[in-house]
Amino acid sequence: MAAPLPQPAAPPAAPAPTNDLLKRPLYVFDLPSEILTSLVVRGSGHDPAPTVSPSAEDAGPTEPSKEADPTAGMSCTLCGVKSNTIQEQRLHAKSDVHRFNMKRKIRKQPPVSEAEFEKMMEGLSESISGSDSSSSDDDASSDPLAVLLRKKAVLNATDDKDEDSAPRRHRSPIVWLSSPLLPTAATSLGIYRAIIPNLTEENDIVSLLPKLQTQPTTTAPTTSSPHVFLCMIGGGHFAAAVISIVPKLTKRSGVVEREAVVLAHKTFHRYTTRRKQGGSQAANDAAKGAAHSAGSSLRRYNEAALTADIRAVLSGWKEMLDSSILLFIRATGTNNRRTLFGYDNAVLKSSDPRIRGFPFSTRRATQSELLRCFVELTRVKVSHVDEAALLVASAAQTSASTTSTPAKTPAAKPKLSKEETLQLQHTTTLTTLLRRSKAPAIVTYLNSNKLPFTYYLNPSNHHTPTLLHLAASQSNPMVVLALLTKAPNGNKEPADPLIRNAAGKTAYDLAGDKSTREVFRVARQELGEAMFDWDSMGVGSPLSRKEYDAAVEHEKVAKEAEEKERREKETTRLRNMPDASSSGGSSAAGKGGMSLHEVLGTNAATAAREEATKGLSEEAKRRLERERRARAAEERMKRLSGK
Amino acid sequence: MAVRAQFENSNEVGVFATLTNSYALVAIGGSENFYSVFEAELADVIPVVHTTIAGTRIVGRLTAGNRQGLLLPTSTTDQELQHLRNALPDTVKIQRIEERLSALGNVICCNDHVALVHPDIERETEELISDVLGVEVFRQTIADNVLTGSYCALSNQGGIVHPQTSIQDQDELSSLLQVPLVAGSINRGSAVVGAGMVVNDWMAVTGLDTTATELSVVESVFRLGEGQAPSNINTSLKDSLVESFY
Repeated sequence: MAAPLPQPAAPPAAPAPTNDLLKRPLYVFDLPSEILTSLVVRGSGHDPAPTVSPSAEDAGPTEPSKEADPTAGMSCTLCGVKSNTIQEQRLHAKSDVHRFNMKRKIRKQPPVSEAEFEKMMEGLSESISGSDSSSSDDDASSDPLAVLLRKKAVLNATDDKDEDSAPRRHRSPIVWLSSPLLPTAATSLGIYRAIIPNLTEENDIVSLLPKLQTQPTTTAPTTSSPHVFLCMIGGGHFAAAVISIVPKLTKRSGVVEREAVVLAHKTFHRYTTRRKQGGSQAANDAAKGAAHSAGSSLRRYNEAALTADIRAVLSGWKEMLDSSILLFIRATGTNNRRTLFGYDNAVLKSSDPRIRGFPFSTRRATQSELLRCFVELTRVKVSHVDEAALLVASAAQTSASTTSTPAKTPAAKPKLSKEETLQLQHTTTLTTLLRRSKAPAIVTYLNSNKLPFTYYLNPSNHHTPTLLHLAASQSNPMVVLALLTKAPNGNKEPADPLIRNAAGKTAYDLAGDKSTREVFRVARQELGEAMFDWDSMGVGSPLSRKEYDAAVEHEKVAKEAEEKERREKETTRLRNMPDASSSGGSSAAGKGGMSLHEVLGTNAATAAREEATKGLSEEAKRRLERERRARAAEERMKRLSGK
Repeated sequence: MAVRAQFENSNEVGVFATLTNSYALVAIGGSENFYSVFEAELADVIPVVHTTIAGTRIVGRLTAGNRQGLLLPTSTTDQELQHLRNALPDTVKIQRIEERLSALGNVICCNDHVALVHPDIERETEELISDVLGVEVFRQTIADNVLTGSYCALSNQGGIVHPQTSIQDQDELSSLLQVPLVAGSINRGSAVVGAGMVVNDWMAVTGLDTTATELSVVESVFRLGEGQAPSNINTSLKDSLVESFY
């Protein structure tokens, strides 16, 4: 298990030209000696680089590409590779270059050769596996952004003052250092505070760093070499690794590369989080009492098993943990912390001074995420921000802060005109009345406010542009009828049923049930054929109000009859039920059938009794039962003596 | 033995059933006709389980499994999971997988030794597949389709792939899988062979529409009939093979 680390700068023998120092990312435990001796802490607790980013050429860990045999035999038409044996072919089918080519094929792009692929891997680290695709997307999107931001910061530092003026944390997680060897004065190097053990004062870092330097080896480091422990818990996932900080040098395609060596690692996943609701089962149990579903018992079991698994791993690694120089732990929430700390024979102590959090956001606890975090922690960050310009900018900002504050308040929403507010009010009132199907109230409201019956709703709606549309779509026959026929004879027109909505539908088309559609036929009868082109709307033949009322009445009666029948059926069913149960149950059979009420009563009483004893211990249950029997015996005796 | 069946007027048998060497999952349908086809052939040998997955009947498309294990999508409810745990033999590992491509039957095509999977599935899923099913996992496409599970029906004896798979691709896949492959169709010319049928080492169930020729190809490549070997395709059946038409 190895992850490529920030690569070493040139062969250490020849002091490289200073520009080359930053060409490749620096590893905090293996800095070039000339840089190490010349480092000076920048400013004092002041973070000069809000726009810092990992250097563009290696955002995120790159996958070490497996070396498939270039001399080939059995073919892969996709990559144009030939393998000699099945093993080779299988190896190739699993290799990154094959996967990469497959993805290219799906995107209808030509495949690349292995050499080209290697070059691409060095250039931009395009991730191949499915799980890393999201992170590669992030990187791809953030890279141009980072470049842009950096450029902006250098060219026009004053532009950034808005962002800079935001209240800053007192302690930045990164200590910024400068060195005369760096190409420009604006360049600074950043090192995470968390990665330096025993760091109390920021200025100590210069003296502490040389002691931490390691000598890269070509042989695999052992557990005796200095190492750090990283672990993450969350959402049923657990990942932990012990990684040696002594890098291993490997030669790959002629270039010496540094690799981190993972001395031990373990990941677990158990199903513990509640589907669709979120949160852990333990948290839910604590808040709402223990649930009794199949899922909750699964999760409860899994939580316990995960805790046991994790503790077993930790105790197995006890020696390595004790000798770790730092412990990076992400475990948020009491349950997760309880898993790691504060149990009998706990390996980790929460008061351990070596414990650190991850000073950046981390993703789901996986092996690759741990490696990414290790690389992120140990890489020296490079930022190109002119501090002098920033200082000037911040000074200007502070002096202007009082005046600039009011200007920053966001512009208020455009003020509505009086008419618009009035319209809005009308619409609100009318829709409210419509919802309560207050037809007379709507008519009165329209009349008293001198509003047309063809009332357009405001804000306009593409589905129901007019009040009539809305009434029809809500299947409100009384309101529809009122809007069509209740217009006063004088100056008012009835609501126009011919108006179509954005989909070209009239109010009649939107009517949801039969009675609403029939109301249109009534309106046709009352308003007359000449008023509107009823046929174009598809309204049926005219219907007199009397007929309509009769039909409604008939329907109502039919419905009532049906409901009555249903009720009767239900009551007879319920009446018959106790008979059925008494034939089965022996106790009920003795009495020759119990009423429904009695059956329910006894069941409820038993259930209640069971409920009461549920949480009790075995002894308490027995005592309760004895008590109950004694009471029953007393009752019997009383009854006997009474007789 | 290859038999024809229909699930409620649908010929896509592989959608409503999963068949492996140690169990069969069948969707709960309106009638038991479909179930009884499986029951008649398998009742004494392996458990045939009625189930839904995530409340749906498309169990064949949502699950993937073989003799050693069964993979379920994350949408599977706890009740369904427990039902399957109770119904399946203890030797079968059951695992619910958190994977974006949740129709596992469409993205995974496997026998007891090898699995061909969608090129985009997550690394974690790939590891789970190889752990739970005990197989070697290859990310592949079949005739330029990413849905390997839909376009390939596979057993330990042989496999059928999409009818338009090139000979070259067939050879490659066959060498990866170490079983003979033919390109063919099912259900009267349907290209979705994975979803159109289910197969294990002793029986295959295809849609009712499957032609006699298609059925004979199935029987020979999966070695289901008497004295049938894939080599026979090269002689007597060659002219009727669908691949020659494309």
